[in-house]
Amino acid sequence: MRVFLSFLLVTCALQAQPGTVKSHILPNGLKVLIQEDHGIPNVAMYLFFKIGARNERPGTTGVSHFFEHMMFNGAKKYGPKQFDNEMEKAGGNNNAYTSPDLTVYTDWFPSTALELMFDMEADRMQNLAFDPKIIESERGVVYSERRTSVDNSNSGILFEQMRAAAFTAHPYHWPVVGWPSDIEGWTMEDLRSHYKTGYAPNNCVLVVVGDVTEQQVMALTKKYLEAIPQQPPPPVVRTKEPEQLGERRVIVRKQAQLPVQLIGYHVPDSRDADATVLEVIDALLTSGQSSRLYSRMVDKDQIALNVGAQVSRSLDPGLFVFSMTPRSGIDPARTEKVLFEEIEKLRTAPVPDAELQKAKNQLLARQYRQLKTISGRANLLGTYEIYRGDYNKLFTSDKDIEAVTAADIRRVATKYFSEKNRTVATLIPEVK
Amino acid sequence: MKKLTLILCSVFALHAAEVRLPKYTREVLPNGVVVYLMPKPGVPLVNFRILVKGGLEADPNGMSGLSAVTAQLLRSGTARRTAEQFSAELDGLGGTFLATSNEQYTVIASEFLRKDLATGLDLTADALLHASFPESEVKKVLSRSIDGARAMKDNPQAAIGQYFKPFFYGVAHPYGRPVDEASLGRLTRDGIVAFAGRMNVGRNMTVIVAGDFDAAPALEGLRKTFGAAPAGTAYPWAAEAKPVAGARLLLIDKPDATQTYFRIAQPGISRTDPDRTSLQLINTLFGGRFTSLLNDALRVSSGLTYGANSIMDLHREPGAITISTYTRTETTGKAMDMALDVLKRLNKDGISAEQLASAKAYVKGTYPTQALETSDQLATMLGDIEVFGLNKGEVDDLFSRIDALTLERANELIRKHLKPEGLTFVVLGNASKIRDVVKKYAPTVKEVKATEPGFGN
Repeated sequence: MRVFLSFLLVTCALQAQPGTVKSHILPNGLKVLIQEDHGIPNVAMYLFFKIGARNERPGTTGVSHFFEHMMFNGAKKYGPKQFDNEMEKAGGNNNAYTSPDLTVYTDWFPSTALELMFDMEADRMQNLAFDPKIIESERGVVYSERRTSVDNSNSGILFEQMRAAAFTAHPYHWPVVGWPSDIEGWTMEDLRSHYKTGYAPNNCVLVVVGDVTEQQVMALTKKYLEAIPQQPPPPVVRTKEPEQLGERRVIVRKQAQLPVQLIGYHVPDSRDADATVLEVIDALLTSGQSSRLYSRMVDKDQIALNVGAQVSRSLDPGLFVFSMTPRSGIDPARTEKVLFEEIEKLRTAPVPDAELQKAKNQLLARQYRQLKTISGRANLLGTYEIYRGDYNKLFTSDKDIEAVTAADIRRVATKYFSEKNRTVATLIPEVK
Repeated sequence: MKKLTLILCSVFALHAAEVRLPKYTREVLPNGVVVYLMPKPGVPLVNFRILVKGGLEADPNGMSGLSAVTAQLLRSGTARRTAEQFSAELDGLGGTFLATSNEQYTVIASEFLRKDLATGLDLTADALLHASFPESEVKKVLSRSIDGARAMKDNPQAAIGQYFKPFFYGVAHPYGRPVDEASLGRLTRDGIVAFAGRMNVGRNMTVIVAGDFDAAPALEGLRKTFGAAPAGTAYPWAAEAKPVAGARLLLIDKPDATQTYFRIAQPGISRTDPDRTSLQLINTLFGGRFTSLLNDALRVSSGLTYGANSIMDLHREPGAITISTYTRTETTGKAMDMALDVLKRLNKDGISAEQLASAKAYVKGTYPTQALETSDQLATMLGDIEVFGLNKGEVDDLFSRIDALTLERANELIRKHLKPEGLTFVVLGNASKIRDVVKKYAPTVKEVKATEPGFGN
């Protein structure tokens, strides 16, 4: 009963929030979400642009990510280096990330810098400069990022190869950072057309959380962002990944101390009702040392150094990916076999109630921890708005999780975790 | 049910001109345990942070990893719970439990929902005070840690940090002993049990509770659990130690690397150095933010790397000030020259009034989200105050310390602490392609292969 009670408490806390988020849509299509929080004198301002690697094509792969970098390299009012210089001088800092679906700009700053941030964001949203010299320099930076996160990272390179094999037709086939030849090859024209469609206000969700008032934010939004014209949205991604008809295998040979394994299954997009069931399955299998895969593979059998799973939010059908590092002297065939055995158990036997409740509690507590900071809340609000179609779904996510049954787990595991639907990628150490 | 506006209502009213640590109490239990309580109504979560003085510096020479492995084993079986039961109970509450060790202490950080305070405290105290270290669990954790040390070589950025330790500090220094296959191989259950028995005692422990909880019942719970621990004796800090450092270069050969990772270091300061705030501010300008001198030169202006920074260690003993970056194999010399040039120019020309003002605003503006926003951040600060013998002025007077730094003093500190000579280099990459390029940087060069066991120690 204790376990069940703690679940209820989280539920209450999530429900306490909806009234505090204010939502507006400007005539030019810009969506604005605001949550006041005066706990610290700071603000998290996130801009989600609905353009990412899925909107690219062969020859320009990685251009969304490259653009994420270019947005810091000068516009009309604030020239090269000025965005960062002015922001840091005002006590703020920033970052940005690109995913297969989105390009997101994350600004953190004292509330005294609010107007400056609107001015600078508006400047780069409508008047970005395209200086050929800076483009060449930034190409080097992005290539360095690729070398670090992919070429010199065992799990990075294996992930890239696994996705490329799992997706044969859909743009999720290529890496967010781009293929090396495309990084070397983008043209000015590629960049301009990407900017025009991707960075229009109607393609953006602006989230402001922190030491602000709704009136303040809306006045600045109108002053700086209302006049930016809307644009035709990025073309619809027409290609659908055809059904996988048999297991695919990928081998990467590389100098390494230990092998790495990634096993991906095709799963539906984040708006599908099964997405929540898959999250619960992830928790059951890999969250905490009592989870099924950790306790069997890392602890009891001692065949893996670590085991994890990742079910990324995605606008189009994506992948549920298991990752494992077999211990030294352990044949990857053995870890793989054990993983498949555990998956088979999900398909054949109902999950006991207490275990299911534990997984649900973990998911809720995890979500709750993300609400501790203004940046965590800004990120969650934007993510729910885009991936679930409505930020309010954040406040009912507890009910979605609560509704998952043992029968759902069995049905979903049977539907997606089949031999035919998987791609198995293994990095095998090579001794030079 | 509280409204979120209430939940998040601040207990420390902040103005841009100052920051304040929220109210807390400190008391010492009869057995020596120091207890900090910081009840802070808000998100209904409560954090426990237990510090045991010692950490890496208490690892005997040749037995590095003892404090870390002991910490890791705390949850693997206690007088009342098997490892499995502990995990099931913790996960069932949606709680977290992390145990690790750093240069000066072992830290256990756990977090639970407000309503689970009593169970959370019971779990946390049970692990720390009644761990039974079953032989089978000890074997498992040791063997896994040995594989973990080996697997670290597959991550160049993590690996270079390990190679750096013995080369910069020397193995006689407590910070100069990396955890490797050999040192882990020397650890035994008897040694672990003895270490835990000696270290996890009243006079050596600080218990911090921060978050949304009621002080009175929490204190009563702490008295019954931690208050009942044997008093023991406080860990005697190690004698003062100095890094070997000096003008030398270590080259680690990783033939399949397509980029070179390098560090350039010199001796720095300790966590309690009177100049720490000023030097952190200077380091922010040098290599601690996106527009820093290093990142501007190596990334923004030249595209040689994805990122270049300078890290200033702040431990009990003086640490290192380290330039750290990477670049493609072909531009190794260019990037190293450029990093050195930035350092030389800073040392020679100093900074401007405008740069100093910008760094001051940056450090002040980012501080609340980095140190004061969540209960776990605040608990970390209270722990530092206790272990390093600081006081609440560490936070409350921060802005006035920042304001007090003059341009003249800043440039004096730069000349004193950021020197362009006598530097220690650690370089990891494809040696056949960079050996001749890097040898010019130091009078003595040592070369090791990444495939050899250990970290060049």
